[in-house]
Amino acid sequence: MYISKLQLVNYRNFDRANILFNKGINTIIGENGSGKTNLFRAVRLLLDDNMMRSAYKLDEKDFHRGLGDWRGHWIIISLEFDEVSQDEAIQALFLHGTGNIEGVAIGKATYNLIFRPNMSVRTKLSQLKEGDQAGLETIRKTLTTNDYETIFTGKSTADFTDPAVYKTLVGDFENATFSEELVHPAIGGKVPGMLSIAKEISFTFVQALRDVVADFQNNRTNPLLTLLKSKSGEINPELFKPITGLVKTLNDTIEGLPDVVGIRVDIRDTINDAAGETYSPSSLSIRSDLSDEADQLFQSLKLFVGESEKGYEGGIHELSLGGANLIYLTLKLLEFKYQKTKQSFANFLLIEEPEAHIHTHIQKTLFDKLNYDDTQVIYSTHSTHISEVSNVENINILGRSGVKCEAYQPAAGLVPDEIGNIQRYLDAVRSNLLFAKSVVLVEGDAEEILIPILVKKVLGVSLDELGISLINIRSTGFENVSVLFHDLRIRKRCSIITDLDATFFDTTPDDGDDDATKRAKEKALNAQKVGLKRKGKLTEFSNGNGWVNVSFAPHTFEVDFIDAGNSGKVVSVLNRVYKDGPTIEESKVELESKDIAVYGQRILTIANHVGKGWFAILLGKAIDHHTIIPDYILDAILFAHGPVSDAIFFNVLSYRLRCIEESGQAAAAEAAEFRERLEAFRDGDLDFDAIRSAMLETFTADEINAILATF
Amino acid sequence: MFVWSKNDLNPEQAAAIAEEHSVFLVACPGSGKTRTLTYKIADQLSKLESDKEWVIAITYTHRAADEIHERVAGLGVDTSRLWIGTIHSFCLDWILKPYAIYHDALKSGFKVINSHDSERMLTELCRPFRYPNISYWDCGHYYTSAGRVLASRQKNKLPSVTQALDKYHASLVKNRQVDFELILRYAHELVASNPSISMLLGSIFSYILVDEFQDTKEIQYAIIAAILRAGKDKVRTFIVGDPNQAIYDSLGGYAITANEIRKLAGIELKELELSENYRSSSRIVSYFDNYKVFSSEIVAVGKNRDYPSLISFNSTIERDDLIEELVRLIKYNVETIGVLPQEVCIVAPWWMHLASMTRKLVAALPTYSFDGPGLVPFGRDLDNFWYKLSRIVLTEASPQMYMRRLRWAGEILSALQDAGIDTSNLSKKSLLRECNSVSILEEDGLKFLARFFDALFTRLGIDFRAVPVLVEHHAAFFESSKERIDKLAKEGAEFIGDVGSFRKVFENRFGITVSTIHGVKGAEYDSVIAYALLEGMVPHFADPNGEDSAKKLLYVVSSRARKNLHLISERGRIDGKGDEYQPTDVLRDYNFTYDTIP
Repeated sequence: MYISKLQLVNYRNFDRANILFNKGINTIIGENGSGKTNLFRAVRLLLDDNMMRSAYKLDEKDFHRGLGDWRGHWIIISLEFDEVSQDEAIQALFLHGTGNIEGVAIGKATYNLIFRPNMSVRTKLSQLKEGDQAGLETIRKTLTTNDYETIFTGKSTADFTDPAVYKTLVGDFENATFSEELVHPAIGGKVPGMLSIAKEISFTFVQALRDVVADFQNNRTNPLLTLLKSKSGEINPELFKPITGLVKTLNDTIEGLPDVVGIRVDIRDTINDAAGETYSPSSLSIRSDLSDEADQLFQSLKLFVGESEKGYEGGIHELSLGGANLIYLTLKLLEFKYQKTKQSFANFLLIEEPEAHIHTHIQKTLFDKLNYDDTQVIYSTHSTHISEVSNVENINILGRSGVKCEAYQPAAGLVPDEIGNIQRYLDAVRSNLLFAKSVVLVEGDAEEILIPILVKKVLGVSLDELGISLINIRSTGFENVSVLFHDLRIRKRCSIITDLDATFFDTTPDDGDDDATKRAKEKALNAQKVGLKRKGKLTEFSNGNGWVNVSFAPHTFEVDFIDAGNSGKVVSVLNRVYKDGPTIEESKVELESKDIAVYGQRILTIANHVGKGWFAILLGKAIDHHTIIPDYILDAILFAHGPVSDAIFFNVLSYRLRCIEESGQAAAAEAAEFRERLEAFRDGDLDFDAIRSAMLETFTADEINAILATF
Repeated sequence: MFVWSKNDLNPEQAAAIAEEHSVFLVACPGSGKTRTLTYKIADQLSKLESDKEWVIAITYTHRAADEIHERVAGLGVDTSRLWIGTIHSFCLDWILKPYAIYHDALKSGFKVINSHDSERMLTELCRPFRYPNISYWDCGHYYTSAGRVLASRQKNKLPSVTQALDKYHASLVKNRQVDFELILRYAHELVASNPSISMLLGSIFSYILVDEFQDTKEIQYAIIAAILRAGKDKVRTFIVGDPNQAIYDSLGGYAITANEIRKLAGIELKELELSENYRSSSRIVSYFDNYKVFSSEIVAVGKNRDYPSLISFNSTIERDDLIEELVRLIKYNVETIGVLPQEVCIVAPWWMHLASMTRKLVAALPTYSFDGPGLVPFGRDLDNFWYKLSRIVLTEASPQMYMRRLRWAGEILSALQDAGIDTSNLSKKSLLRECNSVSILEEDGLKFLARFFDALFTRLGIDFRAVPVLVEHHAAFFESSKERIDKLAKEGAEFIGDVGSFRKVFENRFGITVSTIHGVKGAEYDSVIAYALLEGMVPHFADPNGEDSAKKLLYVVSSRARKNLHLISERGRIDGKGDEYQPTDVLRDYNFTYDTIP
């Protein structure tokens, strides 16, 4: 049996999320604040026997903030289990509470925590006339979480994350429509009170490794004591008897030490002398108070570990942080093993961010080896190193969009070949795209180097600030990776930038062509053919997928860079490309020729001469705020970024203004006036159209106007 | 491992407990059936290998469940994996509640209604019917695995009764209500149409023990057999009872045979007997042995074996002199031969004869205490939340009552949870503490309870009036109690409404018991006095198996007695046709040398 699905509805930063799991090892990856900890907490509420009962009583703060007014809404945490069997006696009690009967057998099991208004509130809601907003408001106004109940159900059939289902079960608050039914079989039956589902399975949670030393020192959290207890169940009193005897003897011996006895007598005498017989205590003794209780004595057990120096074992607090964490994790795994031997039909191990303090190499080994039978492991991570090891089919990605978090399954609906291709591409660097808010895929080094510089220099904001990761695929195999971005899978935007490789010079064969020219023409024609074919394929591939957009460079990056109006930038680095004056001069003329056949040939010659990568680095140094971003690149960036907020526009325009001021292109008064209007725009007193006109009027020549015009 | 000392059990009892296979145990009266059952449960609980297994014990009454539970706990065995209760509770807890979503009549929620509600609804539905008139009492019915069976033996009434019941059931379905008979029917339907349920329960239960099988209905056997069949070798059963004491056949109860169970459940079943009667004298045993309808051996072995029993039969006394005769017999037993009052029991076949008789006895013997039907001011509904709570409210916190009250508190907590109330900050102990710290000065019993309930729920911070099911139970409890008190008061029970009489209901029983024959099932007394042993009452005039039924009733009555037995067939009672009732045939025809009571 394993957890096949987790559904979260209105819980903390999830409005509705489906998280799918497979047998074996599962990974949950996501940036900080994407809800990894909340997701684990949700699972623990259902399965962790160590969870305090009071935790089930949820709180206002547990409602998803995006709900606005939470009152009346439900929080639902739903787990689905697969590969259950009614034929196995060991599962019977678990399935009695949770098993979904389908025909003559049990197919799946479901177990849900539902936090909802109590019966009397739901009765009132169900009696509302359709559309009675005022009545609804009256009921909601006084609601507090004291009017809520937590129930645990099993055998549910509802897809809680389906908004239509939610409206049927809970109600439609927008239209004030509530079902007259108070009991919906789809949410399943209440799990019998005498049954504890958490006790039926074995579950261990390993918390993000924060303060291990403190955990070791706290008796409740010390994994060593937990281990001792679970190993022997309760401590055998028979075996402990001799120890109790020894402690008693020890205490007696200490009390009997001549010095101790002497002191006692001296104290007595002194009191008698000082206070007199009448006022002195009637008896006084010195006792050795070593406890003979097993619990207390076990606290004296401490783990000593030798880390670096041979022959020296130190306490946990002397270990390096990484070492202490490794020990901690090991003890938790051992605790899990002990638990597992007691009950074997379902074992779950949840590990939160194992990378927190463990070295990359150990991480890799640890998770390659973490593979127990009958055990489902779910760990969360934001380490690209761990996600590289894990199978993309077993990954859930948590992503934040606004106040809500969503879960994506990157391999949903893909065939094994496609999955294999993704797996090959996801090395440690490219794994980044799993964490990205949005991505731009490029085919070569030039784009990888120059696009970030272009954006930063022209717009004044970095790709990071725009939430865009630029990934170099180093080939044109875009489909292999961009297949990840889809309604079914990662619902984040992905731009692809690729060259169309159209010819830019006359390729009509001419009898006068020498061999080299012939080959060049053939090559260009061939490239054009391939480019067209690629365009067809990519267009078809991205068609109907709102998450993927392809931007085509009409020719090739370097050519189109000049075509956009940047010949001056290239000219400015010529002296670093060529040493020879006449060549530099000739190149300059060609680059400024405005004839694509001429400057196109030249720039490719230059790029090939120094190498495309090196040339990009050279060129990068020349890029400033006057550079013009080719349209297709701008399109790709804008698609990936999504709707541009006023805040971004403000940042961009402020940057432009600063550039203008620094270069002394504008009068101080003009700049100051524009700044005022810009601030008015930031404060919402001017709209976008107004600030755009202002920019155009004030700084007519500024390159940003062309970009603004596209909005 | 649970071990008992050698003297706790006789060889027959020990053999039944040691038996590895499923057991079908025929236990004669006074043979230590409950003791055997108790030890068997304790033994099985101690043998449970995993905390995923349960031992299930199905008893005929809540009272028997309580008693056995206490006795098992008293043997020092962990009872956390013991489920014990009536078949109705069993069906609710293990089938209806967990699997409600798989039954159309249950999946949108359901309420269990009590017999008081049923009676009210049926009384209303019967009213329009004329020629013949029908009443609630004609509407007795039960289900078998094949369908509904009407209990009424008056053929001319059946068409009307059928119509009234159809309306009644339509109304129940419409209002999503379930009565006691429907609990069984729905449980059977669920089990029959979802094999998974029996599979799971058959794996969870290690043992199903059934007490009083002779009064168990066919549909109950069908439910249990389905689980046994699905659990094959994993679950075993221990079925105990006495076919000679089957007195509930008019309600569908019947004494199944071991072979029928083997067939139904497909299991091996070992037939064993308990034949040693520890209760009665040889003379009593030889007397009731005559009424056997199934042959089984009975030997008196107890300390009363050689007691010189007096067995009397009076068929000449006039109805008007009956009270004096009863007084004479009571005084003879208590004052002349020194039987303790609480060891005397007076029985009659019909409830209607008893209430007024109890009060006449109270008047005639003012120095004696009585415990009888005319003296309980509440409705009969044991599943009513407020009835359950009143048990705690009306009993004193004392060491003897502690375990019992703690269990009652547990029932209250789970009832609150079922009603959707958050009880996470309450425990059984804290609930008892809260109850103990409420004090209400009020003489009127119902007012006392109403104020007490309010005060308690205020203390608990729970607004029970916002919880529909509690409100309904509240109304039902107070309404039916009020009706009952009014009725009893009209019949002359003056102080019945006082809180003092209320408290007596739950006090450990003392005084002379007054009961119907069906009500003394399982009990025993030194002296038993039975009257109204008249053909037409014992057996019921419409009983098609009159002779057998009369024998079983007389068997049950006679076997209650340890020492003395006094049977009366008074004269002067007139039946519906205007004829005088005659003594019960089988009693009249029994050629026995009766004693005369001086």
